[in-house]
Amino acid sequence: MGVFVYLPLVLPLTALPMARLAEQHLHPRSATRLLAAVGSTLALCSTLCLALLMVVGTAQLPGNPLPDGWSDPEVRAAVPYEEKAGLVAIGVLGAVLVACGGTLLRHARTRIRAARALPGTTGPGATGDLALVPSPDPYAYALPAGRGRGGRIVVSTAMMDCLDARERDALVAHERAHLTGRHHRYLLVTQLAARANPFLLPLRTAVAYSTERWADEEAADAVGSRRAVATAVGKAALFSHRPPGPAVLPALAAEGPVPRRVAALLDPEPSAGLWPPASAHLALAAVTATAGTAASALSSLNATVTLVGILHAATPL
Amino acid sequence: MNRPTGTDEGGTGDGRRLPRRGQGQLESQVLTVLRSAGGPATAGWVQEHLDGDLAYTTVITILSRLYAKKAVTRSRQGRSYTWTPASDEAGLAALRMRRVLDGERDREAVLARFVSALSPGDEARLRALLSRAADDPGDPTAPEGR
Repeated sequence: MGVFVYLPLVLPLTALPMARLAEQHLHPRSATRLLAAVGSTLALCSTLCLALLMVVGTAQLPGNPLPDGWSDPEVRAAVPYEEKAGLVAIGVLGAVLVACGGTLLRHARTRIRAARALPGTTGPGATGDLALVPSPDPYAYALPAGRGRGGRIVVSTAMMDCLDARERDALVAHERAHLTGRHHRYLLVTQLAARANPFLLPLRTAVAYSTERWADEEAADAVGSRRAVATAVGKAALFSHRPPGPAVLPALAAEGPVPRRVAALLDPEPSAGLWPPASAHLALAAVTATAGTAASALSSLNATVTLVGILHAATPL
Repeated sequence: MNRPTGTDEGGTGDGRRLPRRGQGQLESQVLTVLRSAGGPATAGWVQEHLDGDLAYTTVITILSRLYAKKAVTRSRQGRSYTWTPASDEAGLAALRMRRVLDGERDREAVLARFVSALSPGDEARLRALLSRAADDPGDPTAPEGR
C-alpha cells in the first residue's frame, strides 16, 4: 500500500476545477449529477483509506481486533505501518463519523419539524401540495416527501404578494421541480461528502447552486418563459433582502448566486448535451477530475486488496 | 397551481391512534374545535367535541402549550379555566414555521429555499439585470402590463 493509501485523502482536490467550471458550461442537470457522483466516490475512497490507515497503524496497540499472526515480524516487514498515522486516523475517522451522523440527524429533524409546522393537506391555508403560510417574512421552499406524506411546497403570503401571477407560477414550478427531481438527495449526498473530506466543500456549494439552476430551467419550461422565472427570482431576492450593514463597493464584493441565476435565465437555454465540451478549460477540468477520481478509487481498492491479502496470509485459518 | 394530490395527512377522524399524530396536528385540532365554539370554552367541552379519544389531561396539556405560544387566551371561571382562541390555525402554522426556519443551522441543505441571501453588491447587480429584462422585448411570451 505504501504512500498510495494517503492519496485518496488529497485527491478530492482534483475535482475542484470541475466544480468551478461545471456550473458555467454544463446543463445544470448534468452538472448536479456529475458533481454528486464524483463527490460521493471521492468521499467514500477517502473514508475507506482513513479506515485502512487506522487498522494498519494501530496493529501493535494492545486490544486491537487484528489476528495474532499480524504481529509476526515477517508481516510487519511487509506492511509499511505508521503508528502515529494510525492514531491520527482514529481521531479523524471518529470526527468524520460524528460529523456525518450529526448532518443526518439535523437533516431528519428539520424535515420532521417543518412537516409538523404545516397545516394538514386539507386544512385551511393549504391546497394540495402547496401550503400557503400567512407570514410577513418572505420565504418559499420545497419540503421533500417523507414517510406517509407527499412533498410540500411552502410559500409565505409575503413572498406571494411581491410577485405577479406569472411569477407565482414560476415560483411554484421551481419548487415543484425540486420535489420531482428529488434535489434534496443530491444536496444531502454532497453535504455528507464534504463532512467526510473538507476538500469537497466547494463541490457542495457547486451542487447547491446547480440544483437551483436546474429547478430554474424546469420552471422556465413549465411556465414557458425564462424571463418570468428570472424576474421571480430577482424580485423575491430583492424583497427578502434586508438592508446590509457595512457598505461595500459593488465591484469588490463577490457575486452571489442569485444574480448569477438571473443572468443565466436571461441568457438562452443551455444545451443538455455533455459532449463535446464547451471549452478547452472544461475538457481539461473534466480529465483532471476523472483521473483524480479513478486514481482515488484505484488506490483505495489496491490498499484494501493488499490489506485483505495480508490478513488472509497472517490468519492461520 | 393548486394541484390536488392523493396524499392526505388526515387532519381529523382518520382513525389513527394518538401516538401517530404529531404534536402540531393535535394543537391544530384543538384549536379548530376551540374556534368552532364561537366563544370561551372549557377543556371538557373541547374534549367532547374532539373526534378521537383524547384524555382530559391531554387536552389540558395541549391547551396549556397553546397558551404558552400565545395561540389561546384563558380566564378563570370558578375552579377551572375557559379558553379562547387568540390566533387562527394558519397563524399558528406560520409561528411554528418561523421557529423551524430560525432554529436550524443546516436548513439550507434540507429545505432548498427559493432564493438565498444577497451579498453586498448583489442588489445593484440584480436591479440592473431586472431592468435589462424589463427593457428587452425579446421574450414574446412575457406577460403584458407587468
